[in-house]
Amino acid sequence: MSPSYAQPTTPAETAASSPQIPDAAYRALEDIVGAANVSRDAAVLDSYAFQWLAELVRPDQSHYMPRPAAVVLPGSTEEVQAVVRLANKYGLKVKPHGTGWYHWSGPIKDEDATLQLDMRRMDRILEIDEQNLYAVVEPYVIAARLQADLLPLGLNLNIPGVGCSSSIVASACAYHGAGPDTYFMGGNAENVLGMEWVTPEGEIVRTGSLGSGDGWFCSEGPGPSVRGICRGTLGSRGGLGVYTRCAVKLAPHLGQTEWNVRGTAPAYRLPVHERMRVYTIAVPDWDAWAEIYYRIYDNEIGYIFHRQFNLAGADLAAAFWLMYNDASKTLSDVPGMVADPEIQKLTEELRISFQIILQGRSEDDIELQDKILDAILEEVGGWKVERFCEQDMAEFTNVYLQRLGHKHINFVWAGGYIGSWMQFGTPDWVKGYVPVAKAGLERDAAGGKLVQCGGDAMMGSGSGIPLGGATGLEQFVSYDPDDHDSTVAGIKHMEDAVTDAASIKYPPGKEFLYLQIGWTDEAVWNALAHARQPQVFRYQRMIKDAFDPNDVGDRMYPTLPLEYEAGS
Amino acid sequence: MALTDYRPDAMRCTRCSYCKWIPYDLVKSARFAEGCPSIKAGKFHAYSAGGKLVTALSLMDGRSEVTDQVVDIAFKCQLCGNCDVACKLCRYDMEPILALRELRAHLVGLDRVPESYRPLIERTRAALAGKGPKTPADRNAWAEGLGLVDPAAEPVDVVFYAGCKYSMEESLRETVRTQVQLLQLAGLKVGLFENGCCGGLADKMGYRDEAAEAGARMLKQWAEAGVKTVVTPCADCRQVFTRVYPRLEGAWEGQILHTVECVEQLVRDERLELTTPVPLTVTYHDPCNLGRQGEPYQSWEGEEKKIYGQAVVYDPPRPRHNGAHGVYDAPRDVLAAIPGVELVEMERSREAAWCCGAGGACREAFPEYSAATAAERVEEAAYTGAQALVTACSRCELNFSEAVAADTASGGPSAGMAVHDVLELVAVSAGLMPAPAGVTAVTAAVTPPATADGKEAS
Repeated sequence: MSPSYAQPTTPAETAASSPQIPDAAYRALEDIVGAANVSRDAAVLDSYAFQWLAELVRPDQSHYMPRPAAVVLPGSTEEVQAVVRLANKYGLKVKPHGTGWYHWSGPIKDEDATLQLDMRRMDRILEIDEQNLYAVVEPYVIAARLQADLLPLGLNLNIPGVGCSSSIVASACAYHGAGPDTYFMGGNAENVLGMEWVTPEGEIVRTGSLGSGDGWFCSEGPGPSVRGICRGTLGSRGGLGVYTRCAVKLAPHLGQTEWNVRGTAPAYRLPVHERMRVYTIAVPDWDAWAEIYYRIYDNEIGYIFHRQFNLAGADLAAAFWLMYNDASKTLSDVPGMVADPEIQKLTEELRISFQIILQGRSEDDIELQDKILDAILEEVGGWKVERFCEQDMAEFTNVYLQRLGHKHINFVWAGGYIGSWMQFGTPDWVKGYVPVAKAGLERDAAGGKLVQCGGDAMMGSGSGIPLGGATGLEQFVSYDPDDHDSTVAGIKHMEDAVTDAASIKYPPGKEFLYLQIGWTDEAVWNALAHARQPQVFRYQRMIKDAFDPNDVGDRMYPTLPLEYEAGS
Repeated sequence: MALTDYRPDAMRCTRCSYCKWIPYDLVKSARFAEGCPSIKAGKFHAYSAGGKLVTALSLMDGRSEVTDQVVDIAFKCQLCGNCDVACKLCRYDMEPILALRELRAHLVGLDRVPESYRPLIERTRAALAGKGPKTPADRNAWAEGLGLVDPAAEPVDVVFYAGCKYSMEESLRETVRTQVQLLQLAGLKVGLFENGCCGGLADKMGYRDEAAEAGARMLKQWAEAGVKTVVTPCADCRQVFTRVYPRLEGAWEGQILHTVECVEQLVRDERLELTTPVPLTVTYHDPCNLGRQGEPYQSWEGEEKKIYGQAVVYDPPRPRHNGAHGVYDAPRDVLAAIPGVELVEMERSREAAWCCGAGGACREAFPEYSAATAAERVEEAAYTGAQALVTACSRCELNFSEAVAADTASGGPSAGMAVHDVLELVAVSAGLMPAPAGVTAVTAAVTPPATADGKEAS
């Protein structure tokens, strides 16, 4: 019997012509990790090729990134090392991922025969050092698991904006790691301490104090100070070797040590501890928004600080979140709720808002922070959004922002979202792009091919660096990945956002990183050559030449060829 | 429905991996955070619900073919529904568990099934044709002497449907007889038909025609006899009656109750008195088909439409089944009504419960995988310090009993732990049966299991 399927959307011949792994190499992989931990079954490979955002950069809006030649599940650093050495021997690429989310976590180019390393067998929390405030983890430890073991100890960790579903090692060693608690705890890029790194040639490098046998406490010595090679701001995103362990800094948590979450799915609730406060704050305009951010920074109040709820869009956020908190309701109920005069009033009240959780060392301390916040609100003309500060919404906000276990509400409207803008700087600088970002989304959604949720669907960390100073807002643009025209509108929005940013002399935002994944090498190099600091990519080329002479890593570790350098 | 009807679900999957874990908000320790037995065993992403969706999409796109590994991916899964709960934390446009079931039915249509399925479905077909090793009369041997009446001959308060396991497993005989006696003690007139399998196993395996045939037969029997309420001790049967039968022809408007729901009502109405103390610390396991897949269910037919440009909704609005409203409280209320019983919860409970391993035909088709899944659960139960693991499903009870026995033989974490049906304890408290062995004895101290990190759990 032949199966019959309707409407294939992705050319089968593209997959069929994917580079294959030589049989000898495959057998060697089986010897290294065991036959049960390697696969080249086409369907298994496609489950790795299929990635969110692929449809925005691949030919014909295919949902598949290039298919890996094999998927390997290493179980130890030594196995990773052996796999990487094998890749060098056979001319294969190596692409590791933690939990494997984002189009760049898979192979980038169709012509590459790539070994996809899925790190899920390396999932141990190796150490929690309560005295020295760090934890040592393997790549498949997600933030939710570590946090669950930390809270009873009165400790916590920064959970990046990607949410608690993602790998700590990935954000700490190889990508960016800011989130709602970065304001208090620092981002994972700063928080990373010792790292264990299997270089693209298969050497094992233990960085900083770890390399001198002194433990995990420092990333920059005593011992090999190669942190600047391993990662800069953005990290190598799987393009320069494999990180097999790292230590991250922990922070004190003075709130609940018992995770007594209650309530009905999907909107769980966490009772607010007596030394904590959970508020949704709003201000009348964007000048006041910038001002209140500065004052929060200056007064050093706050534990978790984030603009979260606007991701649903300023026109719909009030109705959406109230709908979400009523388990009997669905998205079909939103239009009726939006029409409710009380919710319309709330929508206006909530339009320029953010969330803040305060944490006190004592009752006096939390009361003092409360007074400071009230004074700031009075000075800038802001207010607490009463409905969202009531017990039900406060408890929901509490669990949402402490754990970040609902991050994929990003996709709630239509199944696809693009983060555009997200340029990072002072609040005054960020507020400079808000009207352009807002108008851009309104313009691009006007035709009905993107979700029309209000021009401001912007969210982001209160501060992406500890104790404040710099923030950023990501525009949440929702499209339907099952709708070709909507997907194309999403692509156009990304291109428009780059142009919009240039029109006000801002650098391109997050969408630019997304778009580049689908470009040719030459187009990427041209862009890098015209970046504000192209010399960075020259240095990175030198690093790549030294550490990856066989070109095992892909271009997610970006470099600039000599011929593209200015004057060459 | 057809597999292609789930193309939008696959296209809109974001590979977020929520389906691999229990709802993140409910994670209380690193050790017990996983939610999906299928990917725990299979490891590759394709074994997760999202991965299965992509596997289906890849087949539909002609990019891959049905291989033995694809068969393994599709069928080595208990259909426990954790993925459905976790996915729907953030999504209103996805139906993972329905898509997974559709993939199975699709592969059954291609005759690409695990080899271990073939004798199972042959037995089911034989039974449906009246040629099985057990006739309907044989299946009722367990009820001998209980005074159950033929509902076709005289009116009854409830019809009792025991299900295959309770009908045929000797080790469960006392449990099922006691359940009927409890109903009778409360004054209910209980009826029993001669009938066969409900079709649940066939349905889980993806053999829908066979399940439908069984269902049609059952519905006809109930309708002709004017049955108003069916009570079953089997969570699987209840799930089939409430989720599969409503889609079949031969509408029947009666009420389906699990015995524990019925008993909870009887206790609440003071028709059943529980007076004998049962001094036992227990932990309760929520059977998947009574819990997250046991919530009130409405069939839906309609179409997708868009609001606000591209936001996906359904016309008419699609009922939301996200596991929030399963039968969680009734068994706990019953336990609370038994003097002496102390309930301590496992970390993964209610909609976040880890599966017992038996479901989705895995106990029959993949015994090692099923046993490994059960071993994970009894370890979690041991971690609570409870003396007994109690549940309300025959398949769970069998799997747990075997897992504990294996631990007892090997000195594993659950060694010595008792396994009971909730209603066994009710029967003891109601004076219907003596306390099971070990109830009053002090169970040997349980050593907390090591965490994933190799440390002893605190």
